[in-house]
Amino acid sequence: MTEDRQLVSRALGGDRKAFEMIVRKYEQPLTSYLGRMTGEREAALDFAQEVFLKAYCSLASYRPAFKFSTWLFKIASNHLIDHWRKKKLPTVSIDQTVDDGEGPLSPQVPDPGPSVARKFELAEIREKIERALETVPEALRELFVLRHVSEFSYEEIADIKSLPVGTVKNRVFQAKELLRKRMEAS
Amino acid sequence: MTSCPRPEDLYLYVEGELGPYDARKLEEHVECCPACRDALAERRVLHEAFTSLPPFDVPKDFARSVMDRLPEPEVRKARWLAPLVAAVSALAVGLAGFHFFTGLSIFEVLVSVNRFFGSVIAQAAPLAAKAFKIGRVLLEVAGGLMNTGLAGLATFSRVLGPQGITLLIGLGALLSVLAFFGARRFLRQGE
Repeated sequence: MTEDRQLVSRALGGDRKAFEMIVRKYEQPLTSYLGRMTGEREAALDFAQEVFLKAYCSLASYRPAFKFSTWLFKIASNHLIDHWRKKKLPTVSIDQTVDDGEGPLSPQVPDPGPSVARKFELAEIREKIERALETVPEALRELFVLRHVSEFSYEEIADIKSLPVGTVKNRVFQAKELLRKRMEAS
Repeated sequence: MTSCPRPEDLYLYVEGELGPYDARKLEEHVECCPACRDALAERRVLHEAFTSLPPFDVPKDFARSVMDRLPEPEVRKARWLAPLVAAVSALAVGLAGFHFFTGLSIFEVLVSVNRFFGSVIAQAAPLAAKAFKIGRVLLEVAGGLMNTGLAGLATFSRVLGPQGITLLIGLGALLSVLAFFGARRFLRQGE
């Protein structure tokens, strides 16, 4: 975190090498996040470039009181929202309860259905998650990816998305249960 | 036996995000509930899969291509340099022009310029003296007004008494704090 602040400070002083170090540090986490959100590697790389460009141009507005990674991912998240708005893709409201057609996703007792863990090997589960993830509404998918792919804490995700922590926890849970049910059905 | 935990809590437990009290309750429950034990085992496997999804490959020259697209940083120029260069150029052009129109040598031009500025200063000196006098009178008036204001303030503080003054200072401090945070919030919104 301190290293990020020092790099930002150097970059603001005109040290381009410092900004290149920032790019190298975050290129993979950012592309992994954008890749899961767009579903295409090439689009993810283009988006990542644009996000770094935006970050560079607005570096002076970064406040060192906040983590640089959450600031950068906030830019990325807003960039995705702009992209979806321009393309007018159907989006699911973050406050809307998601139903997969097999009942609500908040049962009060564990589902006694056939276990995904018993049916598949770990590598197979990963593949199925990747495929199922594309069908999860992006509002839930994004929070899931930020939590489990980008490895942000619930509090950091709440900062990035400007949402209450409880809402973030609930939506990540919804995404996971949706994935589990879709894997069971496959 | 306690009631079955919410599936949400199973995930939070696996992530280490459940509070110690709820975590202990869940562990006690899972000990004697086979269905929840199975459900927890499944969430563990899923959690392992969720957290080990492979990262996307990034080309080796990605950072380079980002750097190539960045705008060039603005080179900071000394602010005093441009006016100085303009003034020196104007002076040089003026002297050269004077030399061409009058046929005088540069030395004679410099002497003429010196005489011209000398005459300007000689005319401006009485005006400057008058301006100084006016300034002195204005300062005297301002001093008188300040004395009257201070005397009024002293009378006002006597009327208020120590409690009134404390209250006034407190209110002033409160207003200053509110103005400070209000301005900060306003500036943040504008970012």
